[in-house]
Amino acid sequence: MPAPPSVKHWLQRTRSTRDRHGYSEGESIVTNNVSHENLMRYLDGEASPEERALIDAAVASSTELQRELVLFRSMKNDLHAMSFGLANDQSVWGAVHRRITRRLGWIMLIAGFAISGVYGSYLYFSSAIGAWEKLATAAIGLGILFLFGTVIYERRKEWRTDPYRNVYR
Amino acid sequence: MQPEIEREVVRMSKSGDPRSYEPLVRAYEGPGFRLAVGMLGSMDEARDALQDAFIKAWQSLHSFDITRPFGPWFFQILRNQCRDVIRSRQSRERHEVRDEQIDVLPAGASSDPRRLHERSEASLILWKSLNTLGDEHREILVLKELQGFRYSEIANILEIPEGTVASRLYHARAALREALVATDAEYP
Repeated sequence: MPAPPSVKHWLQRTRSTRDRHGYSEGESIVTNNVSHENLMRYLDGEASPEERALIDAAVASSTELQRELVLFRSMKNDLHAMSFGLANDQSVWGAVHRRITRRLGWIMLIAGFAISGVYGSYLYFSSAIGAWEKLATAAIGLGILFLFGTVIYERRKEWRTDPYRNVYR
Repeated sequence: MQPEIEREVVRMSKSGDPRSYEPLVRAYEGPGFRLAVGMLGSMDEARDALQDAFIKAWQSLHSFDITRPFGPWFFQILRNQCRDVIRSRQSRERHEVRDEQIDVLPAGASSDPRRLHERSEASLILWKSLNTLGDEHREILVLKELQGFRYSEIANILEIPEGTVASRLYHARAALREALVATDAEYP
């Protein structure tokens, strides 16, 4: 295998050998009877033994293919060697867990509140208390619920349009 | 994680137990982070996208086929999440210059300082060039080179035939080669 060429020199060379269709040897669909797809499979270790043998022979007889392969292999190795580790203290599990359980907490709270509200109302309205008293209590309860609902609605609307909602202060 | 254990963990998570979801998050957050950083080019955005993808996966677990492996399904969600981030970023600020410093030191440290320096320089040039590629090219290079997935796995995640994976990889590598030339730096 030849020494890895600089990518600039490699491109200058292939550009200078463009044919009348505008393709250079290195840019055409097939280079020395090896299609680009097969070349990629060979490079990535996905080619069958028969394909490998054929490409090995083609590579051995073509310096152009050898250069292309060396360059792609170098890019492959450098990319593969890059490391963006997530340190142990950077695990996203804590945040994910909080968000999962918070949702679950809201569902349970609302469900519990709704069940107790319905059951409590049933007990209250089926009791022997006077009708005016029941009406006044119902108005107070509905008023509180209505105010609470509008505050939540406003806050949610504000949050959804806040461009800095993902910025932790 | 072994397939049988993973299947059991997914089954328990499907039943709604948040604690049983932890092993899945721990197992896939590392590779997921690499994928997200590669696609987004930003550590902070990658972490946010990863979190959101795990939440979406949790919320969609009920529709997940337990006989399939969790990984490709999760990476599909994460890839869509990253694409959403890129789309919203593009509509928010066109061509923002991302100057975040990312540690792209080669993992296989060489004992020769000169060689290590050369490879670090090459990695940095390569990383900058990778970030100038279009989404489709960057995505497939990240899946293949940073994640080390096989063609069948990439085909599964991107929902394309394996033949298209090879062809797309060629075009992505050729685009990266062109991007390297544009940096005017000597590579390799």
